[in-house]
Amino acid sequence: MKILIVDDEALARDRLSQILVDSDEHDVVGEAENGAQALEIARESAPDVVLLDIRMPGMNGIETAHHLNSFESPPAIIFTTAYDEYAIEAFDARAVGYVLKPVRRERLDRALERAARLSNITLSEIAKRSGISDLREHICAHTQGEIKLIPVRDVFCFRADQKYVRVQHRNGEDLIDDSLNHLEQEFADEFVRIHRNALIAVRQIDTLKKSSGGQTLVTLRDGPQGEDSALIISRRHVANVRRRIKER
Amino acid sequence: MASRPPDVAKETQAYLPDFCAAGAIFVVVLVSVLIAIVLTLASHTTPGTFLTELAKMSLFILWLGLLGAAILCQIRPWVEKFGQTQAFVIAFVLLELLSLALAEIAFQLTGIFGEAVIINDTHGGFILRTFAISSIIIALAMRYLYISSEWRRSIVLEAQARISALQALIRPHFLFNSMNTIASLTRSDPARAEEAIEDLADLLRANLGAQKDRTTLKEELEVAAIYQRIEKLRLGERLNVRWNIGELPMRALIPSLTIQPLLENAIYHGIELLPEGGEVIVTGVRNGNNLEIEMRNPIAADRSAHKGGNQMALANIRQRFELAYGGKATVSVEETDDEFRVKLCFPYDEHVV
Repeated sequence: MKILIVDDEALARDRLSQILVDSDEHDVVGEAENGAQALEIARESAPDVVLLDIRMPGMNGIETAHHLNSFESPPAIIFTTAYDEYAIEAFDARAVGYVLKPVRRERLDRALERAARLSNITLSEIAKRSGISDLREHICAHTQGEIKLIPVRDVFCFRADQKYVRVQHRNGEDLIDDSLNHLEQEFADEFVRIHRNALIAVRQIDTLKKSSGGQTLVTLRDGPQGEDSALIISRRHVANVRRRIKER
Repeated sequence: MASRPPDVAKETQAYLPDFCAAGAIFVVVLVSVLIAIVLTLASHTTPGTFLTELAKMSLFILWLGLLGAAILCQIRPWVEKFGQTQAFVIAFVLLELLSLALAEIAFQLTGIFGEAVIINDTHGGFILRTFAISSIIIALAMRYLYISSEWRRSIVLEAQARISALQALIRPHFLFNSMNTIASLTRSDPARAEEAIEDLADLLRANLGAQKDRTTLKEELEVAAIYQRIEKLRLGERLNVRWNIGELPMRALIPSLTIQPLLENAIYHGIELLPEGGEVIVTGVRNGNNLEIEMRNPIAADRSAHKGGNQMALANIRQRFELAYGGKATVSVEETDDEFRVKLCFPYDEHVV
């Protein structure tokens, strides 16, 4: 099996590769020290299994796993963890692949045998139990064989566009696979629905005004400026948008 | 991990207060005189004789009070062995016997001194009155001492529980991660693995041995330095600690297990979550009779995902400072978007008070 090792600690990565190198069945295709790097390597070398540390700076293991799940053929994930007593309960309950540090060869072998793709529900559960927020800090866009991570705080708005959702952010625009409903739920604290087909970042709201046709329009602080770029707030969402502006 | 609760100073565990101490004697005198005033006021009827009556009453009660204190002072080490309730019962009975004996002696003495000191009562009546009054007062005093000893004990027990909880709290994550590091080093760099095992052993010993309430700054800083070395193996270049502590007197006492848990917090909640790592800065200042130790660490800008957890260790340290210094020490916390600061201010002591 092709294996990718992800851990922010060099010696922890060494430990895993030492064990894996001993057995001839497995092939370590890469090592990453953070989530973003892991996604990059995973895209290039398409591992069968990713050994993933949960507690990492920047993008934690849970978020990385979510993004890996969005791949066309997602790898199986085995979490490695030192002592997350509650997370372990969640692992056990859902028969997820995990190994405890210090890593034991037999345990790792057993986990590799059982390696399977994790559902997002399982990930959320593990995140909750480990005391890690399950909110993603990045949106993952797959463009022309490339992975692009867009920090959520850079996003101005999400707009449904046929089959995809178009993300407008500080550095341009991208298409993503997530559904607008799912995004609305996940980022309910920071984004507000303004239309059947659009979510905007509450902190980005600049002005609300009425168009000549009587529609309410909103302009975004850092978004494209000018008359044409104002977004329409549908009548049923106006009250809620005003409330969110007041609350911020 | 199981560990014995630390042994707290015997003084706080004793049931009866130390009546050999000057402070206690003073209180006994004060209370005796107050009781004498109350009793004289209550029984005094003849005008112009108040002070004489008070003098007689005070003489008797002070005699009883001071002899009682002397007895309690002598029997305390012996009586403590019987346990709390028994100790109080024995003390009560002895004081009661003393008051009866003194009443008898006083009555006999009036016979010798004749007119000067007159007790307007029959022999039996006087003894009975003395017995009734002293029973009530001694019972009240014992009840008061019992309650305050209970209260002291509950504080001590609570503190012990907290220290044990803290000891349990700092371990698992760190311990298993360190073991993993060592497992890795045994192949790649046996010499460093050896050092790491020695460091880990020292650190565990320091933790298991933290039965003293307070330790010297030197020892406490050594434990923190060992901790730093082990974490450094794991985090490499990402972890830096700057110690600006030249000004601190190393003989000074500090509640044990304070600096190391703070450093652990700074690493666990700060450095570890920064992709580039960062520097923990420890600054120690001597300010007259106070020592100040401040620990600062950078924190990830978006910490919403990693909140909570460090309050426990801080609350623990706060309570133990309160126990050790009773209001003369402060533990303050300041948090900005990118930095976390804890400052300990406590009196400079070299000997356990």
